[in-house]
Amino acid sequence: MDIVQVKGLTKRFGGIVALDGADFSARLGEVHALLGENGAGKSTFIQILSGALTHDGGDILVDGQDYRPVNPDEALGRGIAAVFQELSLVPDLSVEQNIWFRREPRTWLRTVDVAQMRQQTLELFERYHFPSIATTREVRNLTLAERQIVEVAKGLAKDPRILILDEATSALPASEATWLLSLARQLADEGRLVIFISHRMGEVRAIADRVSVFRNGSTVATHDAAAVSDDQIVTEMIGRQLARLYPERVDTATDRVALQVRDFSSPPMLNGVNFDLREGEVLGVGGLQGHGQREMFQSLFGADKALGSITLWGKPVRFDTPRQALSGSEGIALVPEDRRGQGLLLSKSVRENLALPVIRRFSHFGLLDQRKETELVRETMKSLSIKADTPEQIAGTLSGGNQQKVIFGKMLMTQARVLLLYDPTRGVDVGTKGEIFQLMRQLASEGYAILFYSSDLPELVNVADRVMVLRSGRVARMLEGDDITEEEILRAAVFDSEAA
Amino acid sequence: MDSSSKQLQSPQSMNMQSRLLAHAPFLVACSMLVVIVAIYGSLQTGVFTIDEINLNTAAAMTLMLAATGQTIVLLRGGIDLSIGGMISLGTVIAATRFGEEPANILLWSAIILAIGFGIGALTGLLISVLRLQPFLVTLAGWSILNGIALMILPTDGGKVPEWWIGSGYLEFLGLGTPVWILLALIVFWCWFRATRLCTIIKATGSSEKSAFLSGVSITRINIITYGLSGFFAALASLYLTTQIGGGSPNIGTDYILPSVAAAIIGGVSLFGGRGHLFGTIVGAYILTLIGNLVFVLRVSSYWQPVMSGVILLLAVLASSYAEQKARKRGS
Repeated sequence: MDIVQVKGLTKRFGGIVALDGADFSARLGEVHALLGENGAGKSTFIQILSGALTHDGGDILVDGQDYRPVNPDEALGRGIAAVFQELSLVPDLSVEQNIWFRREPRTWLRTVDVAQMRQQTLELFERYHFPSIATTREVRNLTLAERQIVEVAKGLAKDPRILILDEATSALPASEATWLLSLARQLADEGRLVIFISHRMGEVRAIADRVSVFRNGSTVATHDAAAVSDDQIVTEMIGRQLARLYPERVDTATDRVALQVRDFSSPPMLNGVNFDLREGEVLGVGGLQGHGQREMFQSLFGADKALGSITLWGKPVRFDTPRQALSGSEGIALVPEDRRGQGLLLSKSVRENLALPVIRRFSHFGLLDQRKETELVRETMKSLSIKADTPEQIAGTLSGGNQQKVIFGKMLMTQARVLLLYDPTRGVDVGTKGEIFQLMRQLASEGYAILFYSSDLPELVNVADRVMVLRSGRVARMLEGDDITEEEILRAAVFDSEAA
Repeated sequence: MDSSSKQLQSPQSMNMQSRLLAHAPFLVACSMLVVIVAIYGSLQTGVFTIDEINLNTAAAMTLMLAATGQTIVLLRGGIDLSIGGMISLGTVIAATRFGEEPANILLWSAIILAIGFGIGALTGLLISVLRLQPFLVTLAGWSILNGIALMILPTDGGKVPEWWIGSGYLEFLGLGTPVWILLALIVFWCWFRATRLCTIIKATGSSEKSAFLSGVSITRINIITYGLSGFFAALASLYLTTQIGGGSPNIGTDYILPSVAAAIIGGVSLFGGRGHLFGTIVGAYILTLIGNLVFVLRVSSYWQPVMSGVILLLAVLASSYAEQKARKRGS
């Protein structure tokens, strides 16, 4: 008998229907993938399963008994734990404190038994072959990928029968993502149910036994993974035939160098990077995570300090703050890694988010020209097809893909023509991904110069005109034309091809 | 293979440095205290005697107790301005109800502590249920409690028995009552900070959303933290009556901002999640000793608040500097 059975599940937020009669069932011992575009109801569904939300209508049976948790603890009581995409870790606590939070082993004095806690952590790490992370480090000092791994450990520490992984691989570099996939398989083989959400079809293919597709708040179908084609799944997800994910690559690069970078260093992460980014070009940045990509983007944008020279449209420049980088049409704009933290003011409206960096453009003698502001905001929203009811909608209530578009819009409104895109499609659904790539190509053809980092190799291969692979803070290889393949990128990222 | 050996070494030295950085605000507070004591000691004789320690601890104790509650609330990411009203209310209830009978005094002491916890808990509940800013709710709470204190005792007065006052000046092993209270506070904190509850409070202060997603009941944590703050304010008021010998309906107001300042100077974050009581204790000593310093320097006593403010600024600067450094290192 299936351990989870869901019938006609509904959930509303105000006027918005998030779930509209979803059906679902899954059994112990399988990896069950959930697929669907952002806003299709997957997130709401797993939040209800994990006790973060309660449902309005329909029935959930777990072990054949009615299930309606009002908080995550109650869900855990029935053996269900979730690894959330919005990380639930506390920044000021250590790795081990986070993993065992509220369930720490205690001494007779009712104090936390730190030695025992450490022991349990190491055992857990060993049992599931975790990538090594010092257990006493504070989570605030971890990278996004490390946090995601700790989040997985926290879910596993609860020893759940049903583990929900919500886009857990999207923040991980390739090797850790592979580890997580085999972990999911191992858990299923141990007799647990793993509910797995990912936007990467390859991963779903690699481990899922069954696949359920969500669209518009209900489940379209459940398939045996082996018996269904990619095309069919994609068609079910978007409800129509997807033209193509990757736009045609037209060479729009001119000979004019938009951004010239020489001896760019910020030890220990950046050790002398040299490259030219041309007008109309999409230059991909690859390599294993933690080889200087993030530092390069941050420093180019003026958010971190670095040595070396930058020449922008032929003029030497020096940015000590993002404000300097953004000023004027000869600037540089960045779409950052953590869009929730760095790129977007979630509690502010779409209009405020879009207009904030360029507020000076609408001001005359300190007074705001609201009509001009609204006009430009509407224009940007339209050209990017941002799905918001009005410019006043709060950014935090938009879907992930639309939030990402707002950040793009924000960047375009600065009038900077060199754009730094740091993993812009992370956690974005297939449909929106396609739109983002389309947009990138369009911008390139309009003469923008784009530096594009992605943690997803196929994206680099299919979108970038050239790919530079970073290793140990240096450009290990610059791939062009037919050399741009996943194998070549990985080879350059991993092996020595030139004396370091 | 120069780079590999570098990689082997750097994590440890970085760890050491980042650990130092994490404690930077507290260490800065300790050095400030040492400097102040050194200046004070060079200008005044007999500073390093047990008598002087007893005296200064007595002067700092009300602030320390009030700041203990404040520290707990700050760790949770809140702030409690109502302690001013609670301290005043505590002293006037004591001054009007105590009488002479020890049993009665014990009963009323317990009642005052219970009122402190109860009102604090109610404050916490209001903050959760009404989803209001702690700053505003506790500001209102301060005003209301202060008003009630004035209704009970319109001017300074009332009295507590001589033996109750004397209990504030007992000596055991040469150490006075306040020093023993301080030791009790330290023992309490050594235990409390290792409990699950303290981890949960800090976690809630660090990231309320993460804590909630991890199953923490925010309402419950608000009730507990503001309740404890009220409890410690009530305790402060009981100690205060041994110092002033009666009730004073406005006296608590003097402790509101210093209780926050003591914690901040000691390295407790105004944004929650970071800090500990030892820092607050050092902060309370610093604020108290500045008063003595002004006295022995023979300058106008108006210099006391000026110096307190400068030290608060220095402390905040130190912690924000350390924070930035740590962030750079971490990223």
